[in-house]
Amino acid sequence: MIAFQNVSKWYGALQVIHDISATVEKGTTIVLCGPSGSGKSTLVRAVNRLEPIQKGRITLAGRDIHAKSVNVNALRTGIGFVFQQFNLFPHLSVIDNVMLPLRRLRGQSRKQALPPAMLMLERVGLADKAASLPADISGGQSQRVAIARSLILKPDVLILDEPTRALDPEMVSEVLKLLKELSGGGITMMCVTHEMGFAREVADRIWFLKKGRLTFDAPPDLFFSKDTHPDVQGFMSAIHRHH
Amino acid sequence: MLEILQNYGILLLIGEFPHGKLGGLAMTLIISFVSLIVTFPCAILIALARTGNSKRLKSLASGFVHCVRAIPLLMLIFWAYFALPVVIGFPIDATYTLIIAIVIYQTAYLGEIIAAGIEGLPKGQLEAAKSLGLGYIPTTFKVVLPQALFNVVPGIVNQLTTIIKESSLGSIIAVPELSYAMLQVNSNEVTKPLQIFGILAATYFVLCFALSQATGVLERRIANRRTGRVIVEAVA
Repeated sequence: MIAFQNVSKWYGALQVIHDISATVEKGTTIVLCGPSGSGKSTLVRAVNRLEPIQKGRITLAGRDIHAKSVNVNALRTGIGFVFQQFNLFPHLSVIDNVMLPLRRLRGQSRKQALPPAMLMLERVGLADKAASLPADISGGQSQRVAIARSLILKPDVLILDEPTRALDPEMVSEVLKLLKELSGGGITMMCVTHEMGFAREVADRIWFLKKGRLTFDAPPDLFFSKDTHPDVQGFMSAIHRHH
Repeated sequence: MLEILQNYGILLLIGEFPHGKLGGLAMTLIISFVSLIVTFPCAILIALARTGNSKRLKSLASGFVHCVRAIPLLMLIFWAYFALPVVIGFPIDATYTLIIAIVIYQTAYLGEIIAAGIEGLPKGQLEAAKSLGLGYIPTTFKVVLPQALFNVVPGIVNQLTTIIKESSLGSIIAVPELSYAMLQVNSNEVTKPLQIFGILAATYFVLCFALSQATGVLERRIANRRTGRVIVEAVA
C-alpha cells in the first residue's frame, strides 16, 4: 500500500531521515517508535506531503506521491491524518468540524453532510457532543473528534502522529480503544506512539527508528522477545525506568 | 456653554439637515463607519497578500504598507482633494475625498492588524486544513479568516476610534463633519473658543472612550471563549 524507497530528508545541513526503505501492506497496522528526534513524525508526515523529502520515493498504491500528475489535495483526502495536538478548528462546533471535509471537498449541503457526520460521531462515541465547541470538551474527546474528522472521507490510510502524547493519562485508554477498533476494520494505519501495550496488541509490524534510520522492522512477537534488536532493548528499559 | 449647545445643538448633531446638507456628529459617524466598512475588504486583501506564498504579491503589499505608513494622512487628503481630480478629470465631493483618503490610509494599518491575526494562528490549524486536502480558498475562508478576524476584533474596533479622530481632518477641506461644524460655530461666536473647543474635545472623548472601553470588554470575552470559560460562567 505504502512503500518507502531509499527515503532521505535534510533540514538544512542536518540529515533527519537516512535512506529508509520499507513497505506497509494494505490493511495492516504499523506502529513507529523510537527515541524523540529519531525521525518518526517526519517520516509519517512525508506520506501526505506535509514534509518534503529530498531523496528517494514514497509510493501510495503504486503511485509516486511526488509525481507531477498527483494533485496534492486529492492525495491528502485519501489519507486521514491525526495530530498530537488534535488541531480541531476552535471556531466550529464538533459536528461542523467533522462535516467540513464533506461540505468543502464533496460539495455537500449541511443537510446531506449531517447524517454521515453524526454516524461518524456515534462511532467514536461522541454523538452527544455534536453541538459543543472544541474548547468545551476534554482532550480525549477532542482527539476522538479529530479521528472522526480524519475518517469522514473514508480514506484508505490513517496516519496518527503521537495521538495520545498530549492527553492526560486517564484519557489515553479511550483513544487507544477506538484505534484498536479501527485497526481491525481494513484501513491501513501508521501510528507513531510510545504506548508499547497498544503496539503489542494492535500492530502487525513495529518499526524502530533511531537517529533517522529504520533500525528494526519486526512483528510484535519478535519485537518484544529476548531476540529483539539491542537498540530496542535499550529503549524499552529506558521507557520502563521512566514508568 | 449651555447656551452654545442650545443655539447650535442641532447643527452639531446633524448639520443643516433636513434643509441643507447632513453634517455634524451624524456625518462624523457616517464617514467613520463607511470608511471602516470599505477599508475592511481592502485590508483583508493586503493581509492575505502579506501572509501568502506569492513573493510578488508580498512585496507589492508591503511596499504599499510602508509607503502609506511613511506619509501623514493630511498629505493623502491633499492628494485626493487636489491631485486626484486632475488625474481623473472631474471633481469629487469633499466627503468622498475624505473617505477615499481614510480608506487608503487605514487599509495599511488594518491590513497589518489582520496579517498579525493570521500569523498568530497556531501552525497546526493550517496543517490540519492541509491534511484534510482543503485548497487555498476553503482554507482561507473557512479556517484562517474566521479565526484571525475574530481574534483581532478588538484591534478593528480600536481602528474605528482612530478613524473617528482622523475624520476631523476633513474640516480642512470643508467636509461638514463635527469639527467643521464647530469651526463654523467658532466663527459666529468669536469670543468663546474655550467653550466651543471644550465641547468638541468632550464629544470626541466620550465617543472614543466608550469605544475603547468596549474594546476591553471584547478582549476579555474573546479570551474566555477560546478557553471555554464562557459556558462555565453562563452555567454558574
